[in-house]
Amino acid sequence: MTTTLDVRKPAPLWFLPATFLFALLSLSLALFLGVADVAPSDIIAVLTGHGSAEARSIIMEIRLPRILTGILAGVHFAVAGLLLQTITRNPLADPSIMGVSQGATLSVTIFLVFTVYIEDPGSNTLAAIPVEWLPAVGMLGGLVAGGIIYLLAFRRDLGPLRITLCGIAVGAVLHALAIGLIAGWGSARIEVLLEWLSGSLYARSWEHAVFLLPFTIAGLAVLPLIRRSLELLRFEAPVARSFGLSYRRQFSIVLLLSCGLASSAVGAVGPVVFVGLVVPHLARFLAGRHFALVLPLTVALGAIVVTLSDLVGRLAGQADEIPIGVVTAICGVPVLVAFLRKTP
Amino acid sequence: MLLSCSSLSVTYGRRKALNAFDLSLRKGEIRALVGPNGSGKSTALQTLAGLIKPAEGMVEIDCRPIGSMSRRQLARHLAFLPQQPSAPDEMTVEQLVRQGRFAHVGLFRNYGIEDEEAIRWALESTGLAGFDNRSLSELSGGERQRAWISAALAQEAQILLLDEPTSFLDIGYQIEILDLVYRLSREKGVTVVMSIHDLNQAMSISDHISLLERGELIFDGEPKQLADSGLIEKVFRVKGNFVQIAPNAPPHFDVELARRTALTA
Ligand SMILES: Nc1ncnc2c1ncn2[C@@H]1O[C@H](COP(=O)(O)OP(=O)(O)OP(=O)(O)O)[C@@H](O)[C@H]1O
Ligand SMILES: [Mg+2]
Repeated sequence: MTTTLDVRKPAPLWFLPATFLFALLSLSLALFLGVADVAPSDIIAVLTGHGSAEARSIIMEIRLPRILTGILAGVHFAVAGLLLQTITRNPLADPSIMGVSQGATLSVTIFLVFTVYIEDPGSNTLAAIPVEWLPAVGMLGGLVAGGIIYLLAFRRDLGPLRITLCGIAVGAVLHALAIGLIAGWGSARIEVLLEWLSGSLYARSWEHAVFLLPFTIAGLAVLPLIRRSLELLRFEAPVARSFGLSYRRQFSIVLLLSCGLASSAVGAVGPVVFVGLVVPHLARFLAGRHFALVLPLTVALGAIVVTLSDLVGRLAGQADEIPIGVVTAICGVPVLVAFLRKTP
Repeated sequence: MLLSCSSLSVTYGRRKALNAFDLSLRKGEIRALVGPNGSGKSTALQTLAGLIKPAEGMVEIDCRPIGSMSRRQLARHLAFLPQQPSAPDEMTVEQLVRQGRFAHVGLFRNYGIEDEEAIRWALESTGLAGFDNRSLSELSGGERQRAWISAALAQEAQILLLDEPTSFLDIGYQIEILDLVYRLSREKGVTVVMSIHDLNQAMSISDHISLLERGELIFDGEPKQLADSGLIEKVFRVKGNFVQIAPNAPPHFDVELARRTALTA
């Protein structure tokens, strides 16, 4: 047996449990740290079912739902990014780059304009945002954008790079439409909408988590079923076909899943950029040549990255917290550049 | 397995790459496709593999049109080695060869003993036994070529379509691969169609030869007949002649290096 010279070290198998442990760790960190000072002993008391009313409300009504919504969204974005990068064979593919997030943004904006504004044109509060519908509505728009990507990929038979470029163009148009709508809306509520638009976990309640959860469960349940198509979809279409893959069908299933995951998360927390782009790279880097590890690592790292980014945004801004989308955008760029420099 | 096609035509946009191509192979036959660059060999093989939809005509396996089979069914009958395939960089030799088993395991079933054995056999037959954990990006051109041949072998199909299987290999491995192809056809009844540029290798290994020129099939017959036809000199624009070296072997094409005198002059 020859040993190999590879810059990427093969990941030992303990990587996976270690990463999930780390995910758990960042969850607790996010639970214990926050702008409102709650003593660790109080937090533990709350978690075991006791604790003061104030601590209870901070932990159970504010922090925990927020963290859990973030974890779900993080998993959505990360897996969506991995799937999109796989099928387009482009390491720079990402739902927030290729128009999927923008499609979701537009549909959510339209939905909000028609429900909130028409029902109650005078009000300046946003209490009436129909949270339960957001993931589903977002998904609708994301799937439309996904449909456009599909048409570009197969009707015109474009290569990976050109699909990505067209996705960017489609995304820019959809985004402009959404912004136009918001500008035309012209009400005090615009501020809240803008915050949602930058990707935010502010004031995320149990409702957000609960209505996103079915999408997470459905999405993750499909993953084991597509693990082998994911392996083959990394090849060019003729090669995958000659190995026996129904390329177009599997491509569509994976694209559908990717759009569904990304856009339902956009509905819940807004378009958090770069998570879908950076996390799969991180996962691939850790997994080395153990391709089977990439998917579970992506899930775990998606949760970690969003949880920690949100924590940073909460702590750095203190009372005026920084939306998570801003944190991931600022942190994501240098990480991405670092990875791009490493890859030949 | 019988592989056949009749009056197959393929166009790219408006350019006709293959015109009225006929082919009929019996079980265990080795067929060489020869012809100049751009004559349509790869196009013919890709169409036989069901990767290009012909404008006219159709391909049949055991009298069943391949269009009526699912991709996986087809891949169980037929394995295809593309001329210049590309794989994801980080993929290892073993992972590539494993993809050859997809036709058998499908999307959900786990790899069984017979799959592992097929993978091992495919790696060993191509001299890659010690290479399984090397990533494809760190292989030489010939080693990579053998990894792809190995993947096609792991498919254990009864029909093998090989597009220039020997093009990047040193003479030792060229012969080894050709020997392997020969053994597969004679011992396991595997039907083989391969494009190949080395005329003498084509003559010596194949039962029949198809000669293509600008998408037209201009010869279809035994190696000996090709030697007698005088077509080689015309199609490839060279001077040379066929010499009989051994009594029962196919004739050997001896090409005159006429262009060298032109260069030195
Ligand atoms: N994808 C394509 N689009 C357009 N034209 C193509 C395409 N592939 C091949 N051709 C053209 O079709 C003709 C036949 O090409 P093909 O690849 O089948 O030749 P070949 O016999 O395999 O040549 P070589 O010996 O160089 O491999 C050539 O003129 C080529 O330019
Ligand atoms: Mg060719």
